[in-house]
Amino acid sequence: MTTLVTSRKQRRERHSGSIGRVIFLLTCALLTLGPVLWTLSTSLRPPGEAFDLPPQFLPLNPDFSSYTGVFEQIDMLRLVINSALVTGLIAVGQMVSAAMAGYAFARLEFRGKKWIFALILATMMIPVQVTIVPVFMLVRGMGLADTLLALIIPAIPTAFGTFLMRQYFMGIPAELAEAAQIDGASPWQTFRSIYLPLAMPGMAIVGVLAFNYHWNEFFRPLIMTISEENFTLPLGLVTLQGNMGTGSISVVLAGVILSMIPAFIVFLFGQRSLREGLTAGVSK
Amino acid sequence: MARVTNLATMTPAGRTRSWRIFAWILIAPTVIGMLLFTVVPIIGSLLLAFFRWDIMSAPEFVGLQNFAEAVSSPTVRVSFLNTIAFVVVAATLQLGIALMLAVLVQEKMPNWLRVFFRSVFFFPLILSAASVSIFMSYLFNEQFGVVNWLLSLVNIPAVPWLTTSSGSAAVIILVYVWQNFGFSFLLFLGGLSSIPKDMYEAAELDGAGGWGKLVHVTMPLLSPTTLVASVMAVINALQVFDQPYVLTRGGPGDSTRTAVMVIFESAFQKLEFGLASAIGLILMILIMFVTYIQFRLSRRFVFYQ
Amino acid sequence: MSSGITRRALVTAAALGIAGVSVGAWPRLSGADIPGRHAKGLRVAILGNSADAEARRGIAEAFMREHPDIPVHLQAIQGADWKDFFAKILTMVAAGNAPDVVYVATEGTQLFAEKLAEPLDSYVQRDAQQVAEYFADVHPSLIEAFMYRGSLFQMPLDFNAANMYLNSSTLRRAGLEYPPAEWTWDDFESMMRGMKKREGRGFTPYYWTNRLFGGVVPWLYTNDTSFLTETRAQGGSWLWNGFYRGEATKTPRSGGYLWENPNAEDPKVLETFEFLRDLVDQGLAVRPEGGGGNSLVGLFANGKIGAAPAGGYWVDGLVQGGMGPKDFDVQFFPGQRSQRHQFGAAGYAIMRDSKLKDEAWEWVKFTARRDQMLTMFDRPNTTPTRRSMVNEAFYAKTGPQHWKVFYDTLDRFPTSGPIPAPPQQAAIETALMKNVTNAVGGSRAQTRQALGALQRDLELAMRSV
Repeated sequence: MTTLVTSRKQRRERHSGSIGRVIFLLTCALLTLGPVLWTLSTSLRPPGEAFDLPPQFLPLNPDFSSYTGVFEQIDMLRLVINSALVTGLIAVGQMVSAAMAGYAFARLEFRGKKWIFALILATMMIPVQVTIVPVFMLVRGMGLADTLLALIIPAIPTAFGTFLMRQYFMGIPAELAEAAQIDGASPWQTFRSIYLPLAMPGMAIVGVLAFNYHWNEFFRPLIMTISEENFTLPLGLVTLQGNMGTGSISVVLAGVILSMIPAFIVFLFGQRSLREGLTAGVSK
Repeated sequence: MARVTNLATMTPAGRTRSWRIFAWILIAPTVIGMLLFTVVPIIGSLLLAFFRWDIMSAPEFVGLQNFAEAVSSPTVRVSFLNTIAFVVVAATLQLGIALMLAVLVQEKMPNWLRVFFRSVFFFPLILSAASVSIFMSYLFNEQFGVVNWLLSLVNIPAVPWLTTSSGSAAVIILVYVWQNFGFSFLLFLGGLSSIPKDMYEAAELDGAGGWGKLVHVTMPLLSPTTLVASVMAVINALQVFDQPYVLTRGGPGDSTRTAVMVIFESAFQKLEFGLASAIGLILMILIMFVTYIQFRLSRRFVFYQ
Repeated sequence: MSSGITRRALVTAAALGIAGVSVGAWPRLSGADIPGRHAKGLRVAILGNSADAEARRGIAEAFMREHPDIPVHLQAIQGADWKDFFAKILTMVAAGNAPDVVYVATEGTQLFAEKLAEPLDSYVQRDAQQVAEYFADVHPSLIEAFMYRGSLFQMPLDFNAANMYLNSSTLRRAGLEYPPAEWTWDDFESMMRGMKKREGRGFTPYYWTNRLFGGVVPWLYTNDTSFLTETRAQGGSWLWNGFYRGEATKTPRSGGYLWENPNAEDPKVLETFEFLRDLVDQGLAVRPEGGGGNSLVGLFANGKIGAAPAGGYWVDGLVQGGMGPKDFDVQFFPGQRSQRHQFGAAGYAIMRDSKLKDEAWEWVKFTARRDQMLTMFDRPNTTPTRRSMVNEAFYAKTGPQHWKVFYDTLDRFPTSGPIPAPPQQAAIETALMKNVTNAVGGSRAQTRQALGALQRDLELAMRSV
């Protein structure tokens, strides 16, 4: 009897506790999404109402003039193409090079392997800001100053991606390779037709991580590109905002929203890979 | 690993050789790339730090003068102090908020709700810090921003967010934490899910309440995750640039100038590449030192199962 | 098996796709598609975006019709401000792909003159007959701003003086009159107070354009002071005697401005900053934010701001923001100890290292012709330096009613001068930006303190370069 009462009481307490908890979490979720919703809603309002208070968080009467404005006032299309090229080629380059190197470090033997791998891991400690000046000089010496290639090529070798792919290949049983060996498969065949297909999810993680990082990257493009023709999205938007006397806040915000769409698509479909990638350093 | 070695020794000599060559081909792009774009530049940075060079005239060897200038310049000193203060406050907030939310989300609730919260808290991570700073600058506008409007509802007078030293420092911390707490949150969520349920049951048998379980079970078992999360939070925060660059350009005064901003300004606005390299090296040493300290502390406090 | 085939097909297709993209996009990746990147011809760099380059396309084509042997490539360089722009030009010089001609504003004139630009003296003297008409039409104050140590470095094409824009409907609602030309700081302050009283919360009487142009400097100038000392260089008589014989007797002209020492602790500077601080303190002005230009037009057009300092360039922005000719007006900047105005101007500079200097001079001369300037400045998004172009027709569709103010500023206050921008401009601007907010936004004690800091920072800045 008493136990029954306490358990009911406990349940009630737990229940109210859980309602309070969910309300608190919902408030936090609102604080997290609020700024983005306001941005979306403001981008869909006529520029004249952008600063009206109280603010609107839901776009009830969408006005798309700011979105056409983005394409009129800046070469939005070019920014998108540049960002897509830079991000896409870096992602593919990282996926391929990291898969190759990761496989070699996980499953092949060669002299100096441990030493080289340690060196690669050590480069993860070096922040990009420390090497940016020499990299800038290097790129200039290669005749790539102020080109998209100056953004792409130095970003392809990836220590983290190599590490990730090595872990991934180590998780694939070695017996598969042995069987292939006995069938007389060449090193390339073993890698390409046995291991690579099984490592696709790992490569997806590398790709999604690269996308998320480089699509949003600001520091390197700010330094490496001079001509407007070579700007990527974040840089173009910041410049649009900074220009004196031009544009309106709604137009700037419309640009911001447009630039979010690809990242949002990746978020919808690749959230799992992204989560795994971001937390990969910890779980292993 | 042993199996592969076996395999290699089992195969004829010619084949072993072809495997070795294959291995070198596979690692070549990464290794050459790393050498060219990280190893050579870091050596270049080390050398450049001892020269004065504005690209237009020939480099001139100046010994330790760049380091002396970096240490004596009030702007550089303030920017490092700002960076350290920023790291302490931002990382603490980020970890605290993330831990709290992770614990709350981990507790009993319908799965769809958990997925919803996880996605929402994760969402800011996919945005670019530059874009976030753009819209935040409007939200924090003193006269017309939503933040001050919300404050006015509870009768708090308008806060001059972006035009005072303390206000802009606060905005940069808030904007940074808003965008990055989701990362630590994910790490904590992963750490929490790996704590065995029976540990809690055992603690309950010992009469531990919610708080007791948190202090005696969750915190100790989560400490390896906390270590990694804090190392990552600190390293990332030490490199903060986008938010202060877009929101305040380091102002007012030097109040929000960070170490990386000074590197950028020295190199690409004043063309003092040697000085920029010297400051960069100081930052790198700081990062390594902090990482070392955190791992040293961990030996004492982290509880490994 | 079939899944193996489709997978292989898929991978092959993906690989081909990526290869195709890389090859197809090669010009984009390598920047080869940027006009003039590796081409022969005259490379002209301007501050702005591709739309700004496009706006000059007509001029370039007209130039090439007259000079078929000189292909012109316009290059738009984006920068948040002139400091950014100059840093990028310097990096281009360093990277070995420097332009031949650069559109430079007063902010950068002395930096360029000192390091990068070729004096125009010999060209101007050689073609004196052709350019005499230009000088006859352009106010000497504007020319003097482009003299450096006795040499002329640019022929300015557009300028903007910091006048005061007023929101007509706000004035009307508050029962205030359009102010007289010789109004003072006190008149201004009481006007702001009147507006604030009528509009109340959510309204700011006075807003800053940015910290430099239309920022603190106009206030310093009208108080007969500046944050740097100002003297004049010797020389330049070749130009004044050659083209401004009559006029130069009225106002003495020199070989250019020299800003050599910090002057932030001048009592008149303190007085100015205290006045501004009090405006902020009373809620009559906002704290100066860095370059809040783009929200400014919207706020002004929506009647959330009563007054802002700007030049003729603002007319077009306000019209695009939805304002009609009667909705806004402009008056001289209010005076205190003086009513000297600050202006900014810009023109093409020839790069010293260019291999096409003669061709570059043809471009400079061509773009300064009246017919070309008429093409260039087809709407009031800036003020042409030619007096004859600032006329009724130019402002017919847009207003403001008192458009004459824009050029009258120069005639009425012939000592008006440019922003103080010595060769150390970048460091100076940084020092100013750093300290103005603190000087204006805090307590009275903080104002004095911030000016002390400004003085120190300026001393350091003057030593650099």
